[in-house]
Amino acid sequence: MDFPSPLPPSLFMTGPLGLSNVPDVPFMCSWRDALTLPEPRPRTSEDGAPRRAEGLLWELDTPGPLPLLPPGPDPWDPGVTARDLLFRGGYQFRRQPRAVLDGTEQLSRFLWDHGDIAFAPLGQLMLENFKLEGAQSRSKKKTVVSVKRLLQDLGGHQPWGCPWAYLSYRQRRFSILGGPILSTSVASLLGELLHEELALRWQRLLLDDTFTGGALAWVPGRTPAAGQLVYPAGGALDTLYFQKVSLSPGSEPRVLGGPGHIQLRGPVRQVVTRTVQGEALLAVRSDYHCGLWSVGKQGQPAPLQMLQVEKGATGISLSPHLPGELVVCSRSGAVCLWTPQDGLRQIYKDSETLVFRDPSPWRWADFTAHPRVLTVGDRTGVKVVDTQGPPGCGLLLFRGGAEASCQKGERILLTQYLGEHSPECLHPTLHLVCTQFSLYLVDERLPLVPLLKWNHGLPSAPLLARLLPPPRPGCPRPLLLAGQAGELLLLHLAGEGASAPRLAGPPQSLPSRSDSLSAFPLLEPRSQRWLQERLKAPTIGLAATIPPSASAPVLSLFHLSAAGDVFHQRLRLQAEPGPDPPVPTASWTPQATARCGRWLKALLEVPPAAPVWAAPAFSHRRLLGCFEPQKPDGKVPEGLRTAMAQGRLLRPRDLGLLLSEERPPAPEPGPGDELSERLEAAWEGRVAGWWERQRGASSGPEKQPKRPKRRTQLSSTFSSLSGRLDLSDAPSPPPSPDQTPAEARLQPPVTPPSQDLTQEPWAQGVPSERRQTLRDYMAELPLRGDSPGGASAPSSQTSSIRATPSRQQAAVPSGSQSQRKKPRMGF
Amino acid sequence: MSDFSEELIRPTTEDEQAEPCVSSGTGMYFPWLQKRIETVATGGKQEKDFGQTTSACFGFIREALLKHQWQKAAEYMCSYLQILEDSDSNKRQLAPEIIWRLGSEILYYHPNSSVETFNTFADRMKNIGVMNYLKISLQHALYLLHHGLLEDANRNLSQAETWRYGEKSSSQEVLINLIQAYKGLLQYYTWSKKKTELSQLDEDDYAYNSASQTMLSHSWKTSINLCALIQIPGVWDPFVKSYVEMLEFYGDREGAREVLTNYAYDEKFPSNPNAHVYLYSFLKREKAPREKLLSVLKILFQIVPSHKLMLEFHRLLRKSEKEEHRKLALEVLFGVLDFAGCTRNITAWKYLAKYLRQTLMGSHLAWVQEQWNSRKNWWPGFHFSYFWAKNDWKDDKALACEKALVAGMLLGKSCSPGATEEAQWGRFAQKPKQPSWNIGRVFVTRCGSWWSNCSSELCGLEHACWP
Repeated sequence: MDFPSPLPPSLFMTGPLGLSNVPDVPFMCSWRDALTLPEPRPRTSEDGAPRRAEGLLWELDTPGPLPLLPPGPDPWDPGVTARDLLFRGGYQFRRQPRAVLDGTEQLSRFLWDHGDIAFAPLGQLMLENFKLEGAQSRSKKKTVVSVKRLLQDLGGHQPWGCPWAYLSYRQRRFSILGGPILSTSVASLLGELLHEELALRWQRLLLDDTFTGGALAWVPGRTPAAGQLVYPAGGALDTLYFQKVSLSPGSEPRVLGGPGHIQLRGPVRQVVTRTVQGEALLAVRSDYHCGLWSVGKQGQPAPLQMLQVEKGATGISLSPHLPGELVVCSRSGAVCLWTPQDGLRQIYKDSETLVFRDPSPWRWADFTAHPRVLTVGDRTGVKVVDTQGPPGCGLLLFRGGAEASCQKGERILLTQYLGEHSPECLHPTLHLVCTQFSLYLVDERLPLVPLLKWNHGLPSAPLLARLLPPPRPGCPRPLLLAGQAGELLLLHLAGEGASAPRLAGPPQSLPSRSDSLSAFPLLEPRSQRWLQERLKAPTIGLAATIPPSASAPVLSLFHLSAAGDVFHQRLRLQAEPGPDPPVPTASWTPQATARCGRWLKALLEVPPAAPVWAAPAFSHRRLLGCFEPQKPDGKVPEGLRTAMAQGRLLRPRDLGLLLSEERPPAPEPGPGDELSERLEAAWEGRVAGWWERQRGASSGPEKQPKRPKRRTQLSSTFSSLSGRLDLSDAPSPPPSPDQTPAEARLQPPVTPPSQDLTQEPWAQGVPSERRQTLRDYMAELPLRGDSPGGASAPSSQTSSIRATPSRQQAAVPSGSQSQRKKPRMGF
Repeated sequence: MSDFSEELIRPTTEDEQAEPCVSSGTGMYFPWLQKRIETVATGGKQEKDFGQTTSACFGFIREALLKHQWQKAAEYMCSYLQILEDSDSNKRQLAPEIIWRLGSEILYYHPNSSVETFNTFADRMKNIGVMNYLKISLQHALYLLHHGLLEDANRNLSQAETWRYGEKSSSQEVLINLIQAYKGLLQYYTWSKKKTELSQLDEDDYAYNSASQTMLSHSWKTSINLCALIQIPGVWDPFVKSYVEMLEFYGDREGAREVLTNYAYDEKFPSNPNAHVYLYSFLKREKAPREKLLSVLKILFQIVPSHKLMLEFHRLLRKSEKEEHRKLALEVLFGVLDFAGCTRNITAWKYLAKYLRQTLMGSHLAWVQEQWNSRKNWWPGFHFSYFWAKNDWKDDKALACEKALVAGMLLGKSCSPGATEEAQWGRFAQKPKQPSWNIGRVFVTRCGSWWSNCSSELCGLEHACWP
């Protein structure tokens, strides 16, 4: 095998990651990799134009991927979000918002919703204090409560369903008895567990590594244009589907027949396929099981062996060299070589990470160019391990450290062996390492020094990568990289023989599923949001294939979402990427929108996910029976009763009340009108007259209604302030258009606290001993509304005391840079 | 203010401080954390409008770049320049670097951009935020170099070389060394051009003398420029190669040897196979004793057993008188053929077939056994499977012949290591029928016999295949 020579220059520095004084020699621009050092005899530069022909550009057929298969019959729920887990209050003095898990709310919700679970075990604890038989207690002990009575008291009421349930003295005693236990044990025991669970959920929300590697696979069929998609579906992703698909260069792929399926016992996390020596194999990883199938020539899967992984499996890889050989990693830190004939053989075991020596629940392994040597990776590094050598020894291939000039907090998310069985166009010794920031290419013959580093800038975790064969002989090989949130990047890797691997041309981003939203018919907002959520579901699988064709190569790209939807996108290689490539614009074809419409129709028929918990329902009919003998007196109880009997909401209309007086108050003719009035005047060129009127009105006797005016006066102060500025700055009637938005901004409905003080209710929240002080203080201030001249001055004074932000907002009309900066620099 | 990279790290560390609030315990940094929190937390310090617009603009530029819309990206770039006035000092310091990266990327690919545009942009950027001067100069020079403007690049590097700012930090020093080295490399290019011209001139010519004079002065300058960098641990293949070539030309063999030995054996350097290759080819040119060559190749063998020089190593070992060398010769061949990229290397197979026979004839059965023992459970499936037999026969008959010969020797009945294997496989084959998937052993059994049959059938072909 050729080794690239000369290698691109790079500095080698050992040390921890984030080391400060490493000059970033493998610069991260993509064009940097296009720069190769000229040969000793510099070629005569013909026209000085850089070589650009190498970069490949793929044209999109449609602006976004299209659904390939109808949606599954099971509903899908996006699960917990950050909103469910985090404390919603803000911190005042913090540069950046922090993530604080909201244990209190979760605990109270849990106790409220699942009181039975939370408190039932406590009954066991308190058993000696209960007497189960109903006879009169002969015990002198006051600490024993008869359960029968208690239950009778509780009657049909559910104490956690109805906070106003009648409290008998027995219940009172029970609560006194149970109080210490209930308050301390529940909170401490449950709180701890709950916090642990919340932290776990939050971690999973930040990085869900269970689907690392991807759960969608393309198994090529007998002809290159046909094959099978293998993917999990069903509500729990526990059914493995085999869908035959035929590809044609001119049209969308055709789905052939219904899918075959295999029901598994756990959710499918990873599906790997490889064709080794003409035999297609399929390996599946679930949480605690792994399975191996062989796919026959006709496409029928035949199970070979199943494996139980007690601690949980984190990764599975199929050997590209020997048929039926796999490597499985478990959460315990063990890596095993697995062949159906010989069974498992542990080749590596270390519960700690390679570099930091901290616990490592995630481990990954893959093959190398040597069939007996494996790579073992965790979050901090990748090691090359010889399966025939003594256990535990090996060389570090990649280290999250200064060697690769890693940033602080940078961790490995995915490692993949890129040497498929076609060594043309790329060295068969390359490994891909992805972190949350960058992508590295490492050659196993040159450990620790990445041959390529590129900052991918994906806004989510890149957990899926697929290297494809070259679309044309001699072309660079496309590498697809997918972020968990659906972002897709297409890069091209070149470099064979004596040249080092490099990025060929600038990378290209491909549309994600949510880009297809415009192809779907518009729905009512609720369903639209639902559809949007569904399209935004995390990507858990990626498969691509380039069937050989006579004309321009076509890349068929499939992705699988966590909701079980398989989407498809076709990309066509642009024939001649000239010096000025026309920006390809694709638009939705009628067929595409029709397809989306059909899919959506099927989706809308899927019943929505049942809520995890529903509030306990009261048997109101029983209560209704109790009340029956009473004579209906009046319209309100009557309405109440009918509403209860029908089990629907009680609306004001049912009570026959005309609640006109309690309608939400209509907007008072306040600042808005004043503003529009003024604008109207300004447009007509009569702003000066308007101002005069306004002056006259405000200097008149104070006869404004008090409460609603409190807010309006502030904004009118500001607006009049700016109105006055208008006058002085631009006496000519037509105001420049850029002043209008400034004015509009000037009347936000905020009430600075200083204004509260000028009104009557200010005294309410103030301790009585301080009221006098405040009153004196207020008396010193010239109250607003005395005169237009005084109106602007005091408000700015008072607000400078307590309402600095609003003053700033008011003082800077149209945000010119120099004006904005000054006050800040003064601080 | 000492170092740019420090500043690059700083915002990250701040986020780090924000993160431990959540009991993650791993110290991992999530770039998407901020966005998640922002969906919830409404309090805290909100990003200002200014920050929001710049980050949105950054997003648009990135999107345009990834969609190859250079014109659009350039338009957004005009607006993005406002980041230089950010009130956040951290962001302001990072800004020139980001602008340079985005801007140079746009200008590199933009259809209407020219070298002049790029020059103007680079010259402006060099002087915004002094910390980037060296870095941008270097990249600018590389750009010019790539466009064939060697003189401009040289001028650029010379300017950057003399630039100093404040206290000389270690990263600045490395960058200056790197700049000097690139300058040295440029001088080497002119030198080697002169050398080719010189080789075409007559030695008695007057022009010859003057040309050789200029060459001498060039080499002196270059050696100063190059030797500083190659002391620093790193991968400096092009620099070392050209430096050694010049040293050699002027007869400084000791100097060249020292440079290469240091480059190959210094423990602070990464284990770069090319360093050993360069040392080996230097020693070979120097007609060094075989022992010396062997010791260099032996280390290369330990680092990269699949290197193409291994076949040469095998040839050297084969000729050696020493027993251990001849044993190693066998190991080297097996080692080469272990790798997936070398399975179709017909020379290696040819050598192996020949050498196996030689070894067995020389009654060194134990050597073969030793090598075969660690491979007997996977070589048959890896090399001698039915699939490969069929394919090789179809694609490359000569290769198939060589493989068949080797398989015959290793698996066949004729020689003892194979005989025991065969007996074992024979037992396997007699077992009740295995499930269809079990191609591993059953197939191999069948193929093993196929291969050995093949080898006996092919005896006639043997001479045709062997040189």
